[in-house]
Amino acid sequence: MQDIEELRVKFLDLEFDRTGFTVDAKQSAKIARAYGESRPAYTDPSDPNFEVCLPMLASLASGRRLPIDFPALGGISMDGGKSVNSLAPVRPGVKLTGRTHLHDIYAKSGRSGRMVFLVSRMQLYDSEGNHLASTDSRQVIREKPE
Amino acid sequence: MTVDNISDVEFGTELPAFTPDTTLAATSAFAEAVGYAGNGRFEDHEKARAQGLPGALAPGIMGMGLLSRVIHDWAPRGRIRQIDTVFRAPVLADHNHTISAIVTDIDEASGEVMLDLSIKNEKDETRVFGTATLVIPLS
Repeated sequence: MQDIEELRVKFLDLEFDRTGFTVDAKQSAKIARAYGESRPAYTDPSDPNFEVCLPMLASLASGRRLPIDFPALGGISMDGGKSVNSLAPVRPGVKLTGRTHLHDIYAKSGRSGRMVFLVSRMQLYDSEGNHLASTDSRQVIREKPE
Repeated sequence: MTVDNISDVEFGTELPAFTPDTTLAATSAFAEAVGYAGNGRFEDHEKARAQGLPGALAPGIMGMGLLSRVIHDWAPRGRIRQIDTVFRAPVLADHNHTISAIVTDIDEASGEVMLDLSIKNEKDETRVFGTATLVIPLS
C-alpha cells in the first residue's frame, strides 16, 4: 500500500504535462445545445459575446494523466468528478496552453478498503500568458485488498 | 422564477426543480458532440452492459452542463465562476432524473452566490452532487 504522504511530497504541484489546444466554436456550441443551454453566448458562434462552455473546458485532456514516474496503485480507477474555475471568458480559436500538475492526493478508508483520490489540475493560459481557467479532474482508485 | 440582480437572491432559496433530458438520444447527442461516442457506453444499452455497466449512461461532464443550464435559466445575467461536480454514481440513460439547487451563501458586496447542487434519480438516489459559485450583477 502506497504511503500517501510520500506521494504528496514527491508529486504535488510539479508540472508534468504541457499541451496545446484550440477550441472550435462550432463544437463548443454543439455541446452547449446538447445539454440544453439557452444562452446565445454559448450556443451561437456568431454572438458577439460567444465563449467556450464550461463542459467543453472540462473535456480538455492533458497528454498524460499522471506523472511519468507515478507508481501504479493497482486498483480499479474511476472518474470521480470534474470542476472548472473560470477566471475569464475563453474565446474560440484562441491558442491555449494547458499546464497540468497534481493538485491533491488523499485517501479515504472504509469497510471495503482504501480509496485513493488523485486531483489533477490543468491551468489554461492564452498565448500572452493570461490565466483564463483551471480544470480539476478527480480520479478515484479503489485499491485491491492486500 | 428568475433573479435579475443580487438583491433578488435570498439565502436558502431553492431553484425551481428541473427534469433534464437524459434519454438515450440526449446522452448519445452529447457524447457525439464532445467526441466520446464510438464504444457504445453512452449510446447503446446492450454495448454498455457488455462493458459491465448497468446500461448506457450520461457522460460525467454532461451533468456539469445540465447543472450550469439550470443556473443560467435561474440567473440569466449571472456568470458561473466555479462549478465542482462529484460523480457519485452513474446517471443512467432513459431513467428519470431531477436537478435540485439551493442557495447556501450570498456576498452582497461582491455579488457572489454559492449553490449546492444535485442530480438524483427516480429512487431519490444522488448520482451527482456539487457546488457552484456565480456572480450576479449588483443592480
